[in-house]
Amino acid sequence: MLSGFRNLVFAVCAGGWLLAADAPTFEKTVQPVLNSTCSPCHNDRLASGGLDVAAFVKTGPVAQSREGWEKILQKIRSGEMPPKGVPRPPQLDAAIQYLQGEFDKADRNLKPDPGRVTARRLNRSEYSNTIRDLLAVDFRAEKSFPTDDLGNGFDNIGDVLTVSPVLMEKYMAAAESIATRAIGANPLPKPIEAQYHNKDRRIRRVDVSTIEASHRIDFDGEYVVRFGLPGERAADAKPVEMGFWMDGKLLQSMPVETKPSGLVYFNPYSEEEMRLLLPEGDHVFRAGFIDDPFVKDLTTKDFYNNKKNKFFDSITFVGPYASKVEKASRRKILICDPAAGAACVDQIVSTLARRAYRRPVTRAEVASLARFVALAKAGGQTAEQGIQLAIQAMLVSPNFLFRIEHDAFPTDPAKVHKITDIELASRLSYFLWSSLPDDELLGLAEAGKLRGPGAMEAQVKRMLADPRSAALADNFAGQWLELRNLDVVKPDPQKFPEWGPELRDAMKTETRLFFDYVFRENRPLADFLDAKYTFLNERLAKFYGIPDVKGADFRRVELSTGQRGGLLGQASVLTVSSYPTRTSVVIRGKYILQNILGAPPPPPPGDVPPLDEAAVGASASLRQQMETHRSNAVCASCHSKMDVLGFGLENYDGIGKWRTMDGKFPVDSSGTLPNGKSFSSPSEMRAALTAQLPDFARCMVEKMLTYSLGRGLGASDRLTVDEITRNWAPSGYPFQSLLYQIVGSLPFQSRRGEMATSQNAGKPKEVAQR
Amino acid sequence: MILRKALPRRTFLRGMGTAVALPFLDAMAPAFASAAPGKPPVRMAFVYVPNGIDMRNWNPGYEGKLEKLPRILEPLQPYKDDILLLGNLTHNTGRALLDGAGDHGRCCGSYLTGIQVKKSTTDIRAGVSMDQIVARQIGGQTRFPSLELGLEDARQSGDCDSGYSCAYTNNLAWRSENQPLPPILDPRALFEHLFGNGVALSPEARVRQAKYRRSILDFVTEDTHKLESGLGPTDKRKLEEYLGSIREVERQLEKAEKDNAQIDPHMEKPYGVPADFAEHFKLMTDMITIAFQADLTRVLTFLVTHEGTSRAYRELGISDGHHPLTHHRNQADLMEKVAQINTYHMKQFAAWVEKLKATKEGDGTLLDNSMIVYGAGLSDGNRHLHDDLPTLIAGRGGNYIKTGRRVVYRRETPMCNLFLTMMDRMGVQMEHFGDATGKLEGLDLT
Repeated sequence: MLSGFRNLVFAVCAGGWLLAADAPTFEKTVQPVLNSTCSPCHNDRLASGGLDVAAFVKTGPVAQSREGWEKILQKIRSGEMPPKGVPRPPQLDAAIQYLQGEFDKADRNLKPDPGRVTARRLNRSEYSNTIRDLLAVDFRAEKSFPTDDLGNGFDNIGDVLTVSPVLMEKYMAAAESIATRAIGANPLPKPIEAQYHNKDRRIRRVDVSTIEASHRIDFDGEYVVRFGLPGERAADAKPVEMGFWMDGKLLQSMPVETKPSGLVYFNPYSEEEMRLLLPEGDHVFRAGFIDDPFVKDLTTKDFYNNKKNKFFDSITFVGPYASKVEKASRRKILICDPAAGAACVDQIVSTLARRAYRRPVTRAEVASLARFVALAKAGGQTAEQGIQLAIQAMLVSPNFLFRIEHDAFPTDPAKVHKITDIELASRLSYFLWSSLPDDELLGLAEAGKLRGPGAMEAQVKRMLADPRSAALADNFAGQWLELRNLDVVKPDPQKFPEWGPELRDAMKTETRLFFDYVFRENRPLADFLDAKYTFLNERLAKFYGIPDVKGADFRRVELSTGQRGGLLGQASVLTVSSYPTRTSVVIRGKYILQNILGAPPPPPPGDVPPLDEAAVGASASLRQQMETHRSNAVCASCHSKMDVLGFGLENYDGIGKWRTMDGKFPVDSSGTLPNGKSFSSPSEMRAALTAQLPDFARCMVEKMLTYSLGRGLGASDRLTVDEITRNWAPSGYPFQSLLYQIVGSLPFQSRRGEMATSQNAGKPKEVAQR
Repeated sequence: MILRKALPRRTFLRGMGTAVALPFLDAMAPAFASAAPGKPPVRMAFVYVPNGIDMRNWNPGYEGKLEKLPRILEPLQPYKDDILLLGNLTHNTGRALLDGAGDHGRCCGSYLTGIQVKKSTTDIRAGVSMDQIVARQIGGQTRFPSLELGLEDARQSGDCDSGYSCAYTNNLAWRSENQPLPPILDPRALFEHLFGNGVALSPEARVRQAKYRRSILDFVTEDTHKLESGLGPTDKRKLEEYLGSIREVERQLEKAEKDNAQIDPHMEKPYGVPADFAEHFKLMTDMITIAFQADLTRVLTFLVTHEGTSRAYRELGISDGHHPLTHHRNQADLMEKVAQINTYHMKQFAAWVEKLKATKEGDGTLLDNSMIVYGAGLSDGNRHLHDDLPTLIAGRGGNYIKTGRRVVYRRETPMCNLFLTMMDRMGVQMEHFGDATGKLEGLDLT
């Protein structure tokens, strides 16, 4: 085996000699460098880092041991190798060039390879959405299941999604709770009362007219919610509108009298009451007066003076009561009366299982699920409770929890084949909706018509128009732009007194709406860099210093100055790329390289002292500080690229507010990009970046392809990425075209077997060798 | 009949003296070094704090008997006779060893696995962690082979440390080389995990629920076997993982039925994650104490916060992130803040130690029958040093460890040596683990 490879190397090299005496060859360009610079450590005796160069060269021609060479190249390019103290030979560049040339040559002759996707467990958002679309039950997996691990920046990567015993236990519990809620066949317990009162410190005062309480609703059902309102206002005070919100959503509102009641009270007090349907789960409830101009003229000391003002001091929940309205989930599931007999049970179970497993189900599968109905009945329960049990079983089945695709030759990587229409339907729906295929899509796939002329395009068009495609903004953009970290970052309230949940939510909404707009309106990719519009409500507009935006609702706003525009002028992006106390040009620079330009800097080599960013603003200006840092050649190679981009955003502080001074130093946001373009403000930098639109496009293709497939990209995907980027360019990169290109691409449409290796074969190695 | 509830059970047994075998020693139990009949079992726990420790304020200037403790250890002063301070233990696998940057990801990944983890964001490969080796061997005797807890939510997006997957920093325990066990963060989730959902079911309803759950588990096991044909090796492994978890849930169910006990924790079910760090720490450790006491588990890992975390300790008036602060470049004001954070963590830990010490068990206390390692994967967080890792053991591991001392070993003594010894104490004899060169001698010598 080994000697065969050696001969091959020899043959390749000898062939080179014959063609042209002075053409670069492995022997002439690479071998000498390896011998002189690498071998002293990477030899058969020391094998530093597990690499013996001589043995490695013997494993085959460069293109065949590509992965290893790429690793070596990466280490050389990043400056990690040769290590400190070993001089970098001048011939190294020629060696890199030669190797890269060989790879390019090999790529041209590459056989198309779709790669393969590992069976994917539903992640938390997919689980929630799937439950919503399957059973019409609102279940929040993110509150119940442990966080999904990330791979390649996304949480839908099959390789890293695992099932731990704790998660399995949660799946069991969730299935029980969801099935119970969906059918509601179990009798509700007796109503109980839960009060949240100011005197017990169980409410939070959001502002003078608003209170908030976290409360768990244990059962779906109707609840009577009472509001305690001490105090009274002046005799001529007008009624105000009282609102009641759950998790930020207004549920109901009603007018409330605030003037004295005329009754003689020592302590004026009144109560209001609403009766409404509340879903099971942990919720944040809020009660408050909507647009209450009265308190604007009130002095602070009178806020809670019950002779001067009327305000909230308690929320009381009484329930659950059975609702007279039939639940949506029951209407969806109970298409006939299961008590009527086995035929109906089979019908209900097979309809549900087909949706839940996202494929036609066999008679045997239906029978094994219907057995649960019999089991429940044998235990003295009703047929509906039996259906509940069958649903419970369905929801922990691997057919539901995993998306599994089959190969006829699972261990033969050479056998490339198209995935079935049914598998394709799930790929489409989980890509565009993060949820299961609906009846139309699944029906088309079952009939074998999904790949008919124009059929898939028509489906994609329909799916993009559907509100469920908002999942792309939540899950793709939320992770691509790291927006989910907005919930994790904790800007310093001393330095950034304006920061708070309201502003944070507004930032998130801006970017979500902006992304959603670009994608729904099929806007060109360049809008992400320099759109002259954005989406604001009053809170965020005020923060941006943009006048005339009133109210809590978001709307499209045209930007008249260059202060804002595109993603890099949005506070969400600027906040997640900052420290809690200050900006970081390094983090912001890295953010742009990684998420926009698709050129993430290599990790810093070991032993490099970290940058002294802490002194910034205090003892030296940021720029001085950074320049000191870059006087170190090793640092400079990457930081010269990173920092300049970060400097271009220095006009925004750690939560994205516009500024012209940083501490006592004026902000200097000028710089020169590696492509030679200079800028002196954020808007000029954005303009300069649009010259790199092709890089951005390629980056976007890579990210979107990764997300759509649920796997990391490898060398074999290079051709696909090249092709999509090429096809996308002529039309000016309209956003939706990318999605059509991706669903039509080879890796999205096909798969192949996987070679069994010692690493992936057999059972997981669970206990170390003893 | 008399074993209906776990807590009274123990009280009862105390009255009976040593003649009655404890119920957790069923026929399946192997010859078990530390839990001979009548002797309470030994519990093993790891409490991990990130970003290193300000070592100037950790290491006392003396060896031998503990007297006045340095600043960070100060909260443990009242319990100094219950702790053993270990010096010079090293995790070589946390070092770069040609893998470049990423000390935070690496040191956490290797902490209990003793393996130099694979630098990758998708191809995750560590090793079975030592707590899981123990759990696999003796976990069958308790309802939960092990517990994994933490206080900080996992990062939601982005790369975690220079090319290391977040799996390495989000988890301490590894069930297999590519299956980490994510910690439970929410006190309510922990409560439900340990004590059920708090809804008291009638005996018939409980029997019925258990029966249903069992038939569902049978059903999905069958489903999984049907799926396995025609799958590639990686897909097969995923299903194996799933099946393994099913089996574990099945076992817990069986165990719970056999005990036929719903444990009454005598505490209110927590609502969710408290905003206050100390409160969060306390709730979690309160529940662990009950779990240890009722012998629900004997193995615990507790990842206080994540390696590389930028959590700001506003409760101490510190608004800079923890990780940026530890790169202090010897600036006094920054080092001071790091020391404050380190001390704050220790204060929470000391409160737990106090609680364990106040809980009587047999002739001694729960603390006496525990060995709780408190430590970090880095010593100096500024320079990312992997030697002289800050390590202490609280408790005597069942009258074995001679506490009240500081022992300084030869430089570069592998941390894995300590692990070999601890595994041995837990009844698991291993010849090799990680880079161990042998057992760590002297824990039991005065």
